[in-house]
Amino acid sequence: MSVLQASQLIKRYQLGVHEVNALNGVDFEAAAGEFVAIMGPSGSGKSTLLHLLGGLDAPTGGTVMLAGQELSGLNDQQATLARRRSIGFVFQFFNLLPTLSAEENILLPILIDGKKPAEFKERLDQLIALVGLEERRTHKPDQLSGGEQQRVALARALITQPAILLADEPTGNLDSNTGKAIMELLRRSCDDLNQAIVVVTHDARAAAFADRVVFLRDGQVERRLQLAQDEAPAQRMRAIIEIMESLEL
Amino acid sequence: MLLTRYLSLRSLRARPLRVLLSMFGITIGVAGILAIGIANQAAMDSITRLFEDTSGRVDLMVTAASSDSGFSDSLARSLVNVPGVQMALPILKAQTALASSSAQTELGLSFFGTNSGGLILYGVDPLGEPQARDYTITNGRFLSEDRQAFEVVLVENYADDQDIRVGDRVGILTPYGVEKVQVVGLMAREGPGQTNNGVFGVLPLEAAQQLFNRPGQVDQFDLILDPKASSPIESIQEVLQKRLGADYSVTYPAGQGRRMTQMLSNYQIGLNFLSGIALFVGAFLIYNAFAMTVVERTREFGMLRAIGMTRRQITQQMLVEALVLGAAGSILGVLLGVLGARGLAAMMSTLLGSPVQSQLTIPPAALAVSLSMGMGVTLLAAALPSIQAGRVTPIAAIRIRGVPRQGWFQRHGWKLGVVLLAVSTALLIWNPFADDPLFRAGSMVVFAMFTGITLIIPAMVDAWERWTRPLMAAIYGASGALGSRNIQRARSRTTLTVGALLVGVAMILVVRGLTGSFAADLRVWVESYLGGDVYIHSSVPLRADLARQISAVDGVAAAASIRYQPTEVRLSDGSFEAITYMAVDPAAYSRVTRFVFSDNRTDSSAALSTLAAGDALFISSVLAEKYQWQVGDAVALRTQGGVRTFTVAAVVVDFFNQGLVVTGNWNDLRRYFHSNEASTILVSVRDPQSVAAVQTRIDDLYGKRYRLSMDSNASIRARVFNLMDQAFSMFDVLALLSVLVASLGVVNTLTMNVIERTREIGMLRATGMTRRQVILMVMAEAGLMGMIGGLLGLVFGVLLSRIFLTGMTAMSGYRLDFVMPASGILSALVVALVISQLAAFPPARQAARTNVLEAIQYE
Ligand SMILES: Nc1ncnc2c1ncn2[C@@H]1O[C@H](COP(=O)(O)OP(=O)(O)OP(=O)(O)O)[C@@H](O)[C@H]1O
Ligand SMILES: [Mg+2]
Repeated sequence: MSVLQASQLIKRYQLGVHEVNALNGVDFEAAAGEFVAIMGPSGSGKSTLLHLLGGLDAPTGGTVMLAGQELSGLNDQQATLARRRSIGFVFQFFNLLPTLSAEENILLPILIDGKKPAEFKERLDQLIALVGLEERRTHKPDQLSGGEQQRVALARALITQPAILLADEPTGNLDSNTGKAIMELLRRSCDDLNQAIVVVTHDARAAAFADRVVFLRDGQVERRLQLAQDEAPAQRMRAIIEIMESLEL
Repeated sequence: MLLTRYLSLRSLRARPLRVLLSMFGITIGVAGILAIGIANQAAMDSITRLFEDTSGRVDLMVTAASSDSGFSDSLARSLVNVPGVQMALPILKAQTALASSSAQTELGLSFFGTNSGGLILYGVDPLGEPQARDYTITNGRFLSEDRQAFEVVLVENYADDQDIRVGDRVGILTPYGVEKVQVVGLMAREGPGQTNNGVFGVLPLEAAQQLFNRPGQVDQFDLILDPKASSPIESIQEVLQKRLGADYSVTYPAGQGRRMTQMLSNYQIGLNFLSGIALFVGAFLIYNAFAMTVVERTREFGMLRAIGMTRRQITQQMLVEALVLGAAGSILGVLLGVLGARGLAAMMSTLLGSPVQSQLTIPPAALAVSLSMGMGVTLLAAALPSIQAGRVTPIAAIRIRGVPRQGWFQRHGWKLGVVLLAVSTALLIWNPFADDPLFRAGSMVVFAMFTGITLIIPAMVDAWERWTRPLMAAIYGASGALGSRNIQRARSRTTLTVGALLVGVAMILVVRGLTGSFAADLRVWVESYLGGDVYIHSSVPLRADLARQISAVDGVAAAASIRYQPTEVRLSDGSFEAITYMAVDPAAYSRVTRFVFSDNRTDSSAALSTLAAGDALFISSVLAEKYQWQVGDAVALRTQGGVRTFTVAAVVVDFFNQGLVVTGNWNDLRRYFHSNEASTILVSVRDPQSVAAVQTRIDDLYGKRYRLSMDSNASIRARVFNLMDQAFSMFDVLALLSVLVASLGVVNTLTMNVIERTREIGMLRATGMTRRQVILMVMAEAGLMGMIGGLLGLVFGVLLSRIFLTGMTAMSGYRLDFVMPASGILSALVVALVISQLAAFPPARQAARTNVLEAIQYE
C-alpha cells in the first residue's frame, strides 16, 4: 500500500513573460518500507517534485496524497503541521542550527511540537546509535564533519517517525565513502524502521541502494526501473548506468 | 518554554556583539528618560521641601500687597477673629550682615532663582513659633520667652562658617550701626533652617523691631488654621482677603515655588524630548538589527519552516528575542539612568541656586514609564521584521540566497513619507501645542516628521548615488565608485542607517540652534545689562545719593543707582502677578549703560524722555509677549499709594527675574513706592584697564562704611555665561548620544553587508582587488551614507530649530531671533562624515581580511 501518491503533478513558474514548465504531469508513488530514487539531468524538475511531495510548495495542477490526506488542499498552517509530524527532510546543505548541539538539533522537531524531549530519550538513543554519533552528541555543527552533519540531519528527520522521508541530494557534497555510508544508513532505516524514503540524486552508486529509480526529463517521467535488492550492488549500478547512458544523461 | 530557550536565547547568545549594539540605543533612551524623571522628582521635592519646610505647618500667609513696607503687628487680633484661624504668627524680616564677616557677599545674580547674599534674620514670636515650624536645635536652646531679649538662634552651618559658638556675642548691622546680640542656640539646616540657603537666624520679635527701627511693625503673618474648621482653606483665604482689602495679600506658602517649578519644567521638556529622540534612533537600530537577523537567518527560518515550525511560532520566537533584548537594554538603561540622574541633579542645583536633594529616590512612575517605553519601542521596532521572518518560505532554505524582494515600503513608501512630512511640517508651523506643557503631541509630530523623511530616502538613494558617484570616485578611487553603487543594494538597511544619522545630525543642529539663539539673546542682554564696568552691591540698603559720591571718585566715568522693587501687576482678568519694578534715573542710567529695545526701530531718546517724564514704564519683551501689551497701553501696578496706571513707553529685552520686570523712573519710585534706596549701583570706568584700581579706590572710600561688595562686569559675565553653558551642556550630551547611537547603526549595517557579500568580496579579491581597495569600497559606502544623512540632517535641523523657536516663543513668551551658529552646522556635518567613516572601519577591515578560498567555497 502506498503511503505517498502523487498524480498528474504540474508545476509552472512564471518568469516575466516566460513560462517554465518545471513539472509536466508526473505520477509518483512510494510505499512503506520502499526506497525510491529520483534521477535526471539538471533542471529536469527533481527538486521541484520533491518540494511538492513534501508540501513545501503547492502544485499548479494535480494532487499529492500523503497517508490518505491530500497535501495540496491544505492551507499553510495545516501543511506545516503535516511536515512537522508526517514528513522528514534532509537537504544538501544547511540542515542544522549552528547554535544547537547535535543532540538538540535531532530533537528540534519535538521541541517545535511542544513535546517534552525527555519522553523521546529512548528513540533518540536508538537513532544516535543508528547513525553512529554516540561520541558526538554534544558537539555543535561547526565541530562536525560534513558527513556527520548529514547523519545528524538524517536522525532529525527520523525522530518523529514520519510517514515518509525526503532527501534532496543528501550526498551531493560528500566524498564517495561518506556518501556511501549515508546511503547505507538510509537503506537500513528503510529496512529496519519500515520507512518510506525518496531520495534525489545524480549518483548511480547512490541510486543503487534504492528499490526503484524514477528518471525525469523536462518535467516528465522518462523511465522507471525496478531493482531487486538481492542482486549484487555492481549489477544494480550497471542497470542504472545503462539507462542513464541511453537517456544521454 | 523550552523552544524559546533553545532558539531565541541561543541565537541571542550566538551574536553577542550585535545584541549589545542593538541594546545600546534602548539603553541610552531609557537611561535618559529615567534620569530626567528621577532628577525631576528630586528637584521638585527640593523645591517643595524648601518652601514647605520653611513654612512648616503654616496654611496661609498675610503680607502687604506691596511687600517692601511692613504693617502693624496689631493686625494679629483681627486675624485670629476670623473663624477658622487658630493662630497668627508675626514675622519681621530683616536683611543684615554680621559685622565681623568680610565683605565677600556676591551679587546674587541668578537667572532662575534669586539668591541675595547677606544674613536674613526673622523676628518671631518665641512662644508661638515652635508650634508652627520644627526647629531642630543642635546646640544650646531656642529663644526664651522674653520677647525683648537680644538673643539669636543661627543656622549651625552658617555659624560654623563664621566661627561662631553658642554663648558668643556677635555684632550685626542695623540702622544704628553695629549692635551686639547673644547667640543662644544653633539650629540644623533643615526645615526653617533652609531659609535663604541657611544664611539665617531668628530673634524675638520685639528685639527685632527695636534693633531694626521698626517699632510695632511686622512684614508677614503666618496663619495656622483650626484643623477642625468646617470651611475649606480656599474659602477662609477668600474671607481673609476680602476682610483685609487690597492692601494685603493672602497667599498659600507653596505658591512661592510655582515659578521655579515652571522654569524647571521648561528645561525638562527639552531633556525629555531629546531622550525621546535617542530612543527613537534606538528604535531604528533595533529595527535594523532585527531586519538583518531575518536576512541573515533566512535559511535557518526556511529550514525550521520545512521541518514543521509554523509562521506564528517563528514570529513568536523573534518577538521573544526582542523582549529579552528590550528587557536587558531597559534594565541596563535603568542602572545608567540612576547614575545619570546624579549628574542631572547637580545641574539642576546650579540652575536653581539651591541644592537638589542628593539622595535620589526612584519615582515608581518614572521607572514604569521608562521601562515600558524601552520594552514597547523594542517590540514595536521588532514587530515588522518578526512578521517577515514568519513569512520566509521553506524553500528559501534550500535555494541559494536570492535577490531580496523590494517591499511595498521601498516602492511606495515615499508617497506616505511625503504626506507625513507635509502634514507634520504644517502641524509644527501651525503649532497647536502651546497648551501642552509637556510637548507630548508635539514630540509625536516631530517623530512623524522624521519617519516621513526616512520613508522618502529609498526613493532618493539612486539619484543621490548618481550625482555623487564622480565625487566618490575622486575620493575613494575606482573601488570607491563600486562601493558607492553598493548603497542601492541593501536599501532598507541603508535607509534606516541614513535615517538614524539624519535624526542625530538634525538633533545636534536643533540643540545648537536653540541654545545658540537663546544664548545670543541672553548675551546681547547681558552685555548691555551689564553695561557698566563695576557693580556695587550691599547687604544693607544703599542711600540713593551714594551714586553721586561714587561718580566723583577718581577714574569713575559715571554711576547710576538701580532699585529692584518687588510689586504686582494687574492682569486683564483683574488678578495680580508678582513682578519686579526696576527704578532708574534714565539720564544717569544712560551714561553707564543702555537699554536694549526689542524693536530696533524704537527711537531711544524719545522713549527715554517719555520714561523720564514719569508715569511711564519700559516693559520686558517677555511681558509684552505674554500679555500682548504694546507701546501706549496702560499697565496698572500696585504701589504703596494704591494701584496706579502707567503708560508703556517701550519694550525692552530684559531677563531679570525671568523677564517679569518693568522699568520706571526714580521719581516714580519715590512718589509711588515711598522709597529712595538703591539695590545696586552701576559704575562705568573711564579707562577699561583701570577697573581693578577704581574698584579698590571705591572700596577704600566707602567699602567699610556701607558694607559694599563689588563685582566686575567681566566676572559677572563669566559667571552668567558659565551658568548658561552648564545648563545647555546636557542638551548637547543628549544630541551627541543620538549620533552615537546612529553610528552604531552604521557599524551594524556595514557588518551585515560585509557578511552578506563575503562570497562577492572573495570573488573580487580573487580577481585582483587589493585589501586596500576592499577597505575603500566599504568606506565609500559609509561615506555616502554619512553624506546623505548629514546633508538631509542639516536641512531638517535648520528647519526644525526655526519651527521650535517659533513654538517656544508662543509657549514661554521669550522672543528669540534665530541664530544658527556656524560651529553647529560645521560640527553636525563633521560628526556625520567622521563618525560614519570611523564606524565603517571595523567592518571594512573585516571585509579586507576575507579569505579568498573560504569565501568562494562558502556554501
Ligand atoms: N522559483 C523558480 N522560478 C522559476 N523557475 C524555477 C524556479 N524553481 C525552479 N525553476 C525551474 O524549474 C526547472 C526545474 O528546476 P529544479 O530545481 O526542480 O531542477 P533539478 O532537477 O532539481 O535540477 P538540479 O539537478 O540542478 O538540482 C528548472 O528549469 C528551473 O529553472
Ligand atoms: Mg535540484
